[in-house]
Amino acid sequence: MYENAIVVENLEKAFGKRKVVDNLSFKVRKGEVFGLLGHNGAGKSTTIDLILGLKKADEGRSVILGMNAAVNRKAVFERVGVQLQQTKYQSSITVEEACIEYGSLYEKAADHEELLRQFGLTELQKSMVSKLSGGERQKLSIVLALIGNPEIVFLDELTTGLDVEARREVWRTLKQLKDKGLTIFLTTHYMEEAEALCDHVCIIKSGKKVVEGTVADIVNNSKQKNLEDAYLFYMEEEL
Amino acid sequence: MRFFKMYKVEQKLFMRSPDVILFNLGMPLIVLILISLIAGNKEAGNSGLTFLSGSYVALSTVGICCSAFMSIPISLVEYRSQGVLRRMYCSPCSPVRLLACDTIASGVMAVISTMILSVTAVFFFGYRMEGNVLLYIFAWLLTMISMFSIGLMIASLCRTVKSMNVVTSLVYFPMLFFSGATVPAEIFPEKLRVFSDILPLGVGINLLKDISLGIYDRMLIPVVILMIITVICSFVSVKTFRWE
Repeated sequence: MYENAIVVENLEKAFGKRKVVDNLSFKVRKGEVFGLLGHNGAGKSTTIDLILGLKKADEGRSVILGMNAAVNRKAVFERVGVQLQQTKYQSSITVEEACIEYGSLYEKAADHEELLRQFGLTELQKSMVSKLSGGERQKLSIVLALIGNPEIVFLDELTTGLDVEARREVWRTLKQLKDKGLTIFLTTHYMEEAEALCDHVCIIKSGKKVVEGTVADIVNNSKQKNLEDAYLFYMEEEL
Repeated sequence: MRFFKMYKVEQKLFMRSPDVILFNLGMPLIVLILISLIAGNKEAGNSGLTFLSGSYVALSTVGICCSAFMSIPISLVEYRSQGVLRRMYCSPCSPVRLLACDTIASGVMAVISTMILSVTAVFFFGYRMEGNVLLYIFAWLLTMISMFSIGLMIASLCRTVKSMNVVTSLVYFPMLFFSGATVPAEIFPEKLRVFSDILPLGVGINLLKDISLGIYDRMLIPVVILMIITVICSFVSVKTFRWE
């Protein structure tokens, strides 16, 4: 029996008249990499906001590690790390200072020097975050998401805007994390990325679930040769 | 301890900002030196203050003014719009800790600014305060807390960097020039004097000038005004604060 890390049931959210998340349900098991897939504006980030308690759902509920994030914020975030889309850092902060600052948020923070070494950022410790390349900055975001020794990490569009090489490097680091038993919840609109990393994916369109399952099941059931084709197949079927 | 770690980083960031160094630490010192060299020992208007003693008091509030109406609203509104507060919300800590660290760091900058100014005035220009120094420090702190509450209120009310820039400019520059903080209010024409007397920072400066001269019999009203400002603005800033 697998234990569930995240349970989402009949989640709904509308901004004005536009439904952004529409009756969405899924489960994320402990230790798996779960991918929430969809095109830009499909409601991926809003779903994360709802799970993390950053926004209030109109209907339905989401449970993370057996708790409601909006109610048990402290307890949840001692065990959950996040990388949010488009977080900027203070303009003149260095890599090391960012680690100290984010580490100070947790009761038991990880050793940031060890994490920086793991992600190949040791030499950039004294560099300003604003001077880092896109890939380096995203790796730093992962370091900061891991600094509280979390059991689950949320990675929202982690590799968007990165070049192929940087993206592959981020993938490698994520695989290492997965091998250590970390539960990873990621959103992406790169199907190749989902195929390379995810155990389990849920494809959404306009906030609605289109299909859910393992990558292999989704590809097989659609009778396509890879996830990207399967994705397009399901998207068109919906039209 | 964890609070102190974060505070230390934020304080370093302030020290790294050229705006803060120039306006908070540099400007009051430069104006003090200029006024002292030009007219240091002449009496300013009919105030009973020399230009040096009047300017020292006024310039000791420039650090407060810069911190309250530039550093605090700018850093907080930027942190909000850049998503730093949102990111901090996704941690076991409250974003309020970051705001507290920033406010303290801004206060420390104002203290440093005034200390540099005091040392220069006392050791290089022979300034001596007639009134009670301890009382002066208390009044200075009250003025700082009161101005900071206005700055925090601006940070809470302004939702975007653009609106915050407009509001801080509208508050900062008049306070800086018309409250007597830089240009001595003693040489203002009568009508401008009235204006400077009613600016919150002007109230603080007048109180400080009195104390520096050893006049203690009219402190009640300015002290009460500064306290009322603090209570109202703190209340509004807490009530209207949004981390997003």
